Amino acid sequence: MASSSKAARLGEEVWKSRVDKINAEVLTLTYGTIVAQLCRDLTLPATANKTDYAAVNAELDRMGYNIGLRLIEDFLAKSNTGTCSSFRETAEVISKVGFKMFLNVVPQVTNWQGVEGKPQAFGLVFEENPLAEFVEYPDDGRAQDELWYSNILCGVIRGALEMVQMQIEAHFVTDVLRGNDTTEMRVTLVRYIEDEMPPDDE
Amino acid sequence: MSVFSFYIFDRHTECIYSKRFAASNNAPPPRGAAGGGIQNGDVPASLRKASKDLDETKLIFGTIFSLRRMARQLGGADDQFLSYRTGEYKLHYFETPTQLKLVMLTSPNVGNMRTVLHQIWATLFVEYVVKSPLAPAEHTGGKGVANELFEGGLERFMEAVFRPQQ
Repeated sequence: MASSSKAARLGEEVWKSRVDKINAEVLTLTYGTIVAQLCRDLTLPATANKTDYAAVNAELDRMGYNIGLRLIEDFLAKSNTGTCSSFRETAEVISKVGFKMFLNVVPQVTNWQGVEGKPQAFGLVFEENPLAEFVEYPDDGRAQDELWYSNILCGVIRGALEMVQMQIEAHFVTDVLRGNDTTEMRVTLVRYIEDEMPPDDE
Repeated sequence: MSVFSFYIFDRHTECIYSKRFAASNNAPPPRGAAGGGIQNGDVPASLRKASKDLDETKLIFGTIFSLRRMARQLGGADDQFLSYRTGEYKLHYFETPTQLKLVMLTSPNVGNMRTVLHQIWATLFVEYVVKSPLAPAEHTGGKGVANELFEGGLERFMEAVFRPQQ
């Protein structure tokens, strides 16, 4: 596909020449610390140390959302991609330019659902995930089933796409940390946000 | 070649930044010597009359909003208008995919300023406003935009662009 190889080239070029880089392990450890701290702080009501994993997931998503709102400007300024003509192109750009540029990974776009004009969704399969290196889940019997460790990424995509007039819904469906074979996030297009009109003067 | 003013509008149609530039050192000599009208520098009469800045930004937003819509209706969904010119001034327009709108008013003889506006966005706004941990993500009421770094960077940049050419 022509547009996909173009996106791949662009991602490679931006990654090589235009972004500041840090040691990946610094990021891995910092993120791990955040998740661990959230797991300690957010506990179920009336318990001292039973983590409320749903709250941790939600908090990670919220943090990511706020990152995404800003990250998109940096992304657009560095990559110079214009507006995407279709949701399919958006998916390609997210995976091959966005993830490449900020995390140096290229998740596979898979499992397309829907066509233009209908509800559309795609999956992002992460073959490697820099956030999830060296991770061990707490041995409380619940984390394995309830915690989405990399949930911050869902929020980032949601925040970033909202700024470019796309309301989406993103969540992880599988994670190798939970014992699945792959790590997959599903991104569903809810609607395109209309331009806002200036308020009436009168 | 001189620049009169510069505005940024966010995706909620609000003016989050505006700046007027004093007459630059390369402005033509004031007409009519020490007349009362020249303290505003080289700002054309049409702009000077605007009683309040607020009205002016509303007017500018209304104009670009309509022009943008017209450009799209005639030239297709991806079309954007770039500038328009009157006898007194030229309005340059640049919009990012995040619907941030950058507008600059200059004297009519100025060439294409699209790259300049793009640079202001990419190297000043993104670096100093978006990446500033002190600035909120949404700049309601222009909060967090007019910080020292952005302000200073913009002034230096404009000076470099509109430097007198000898």
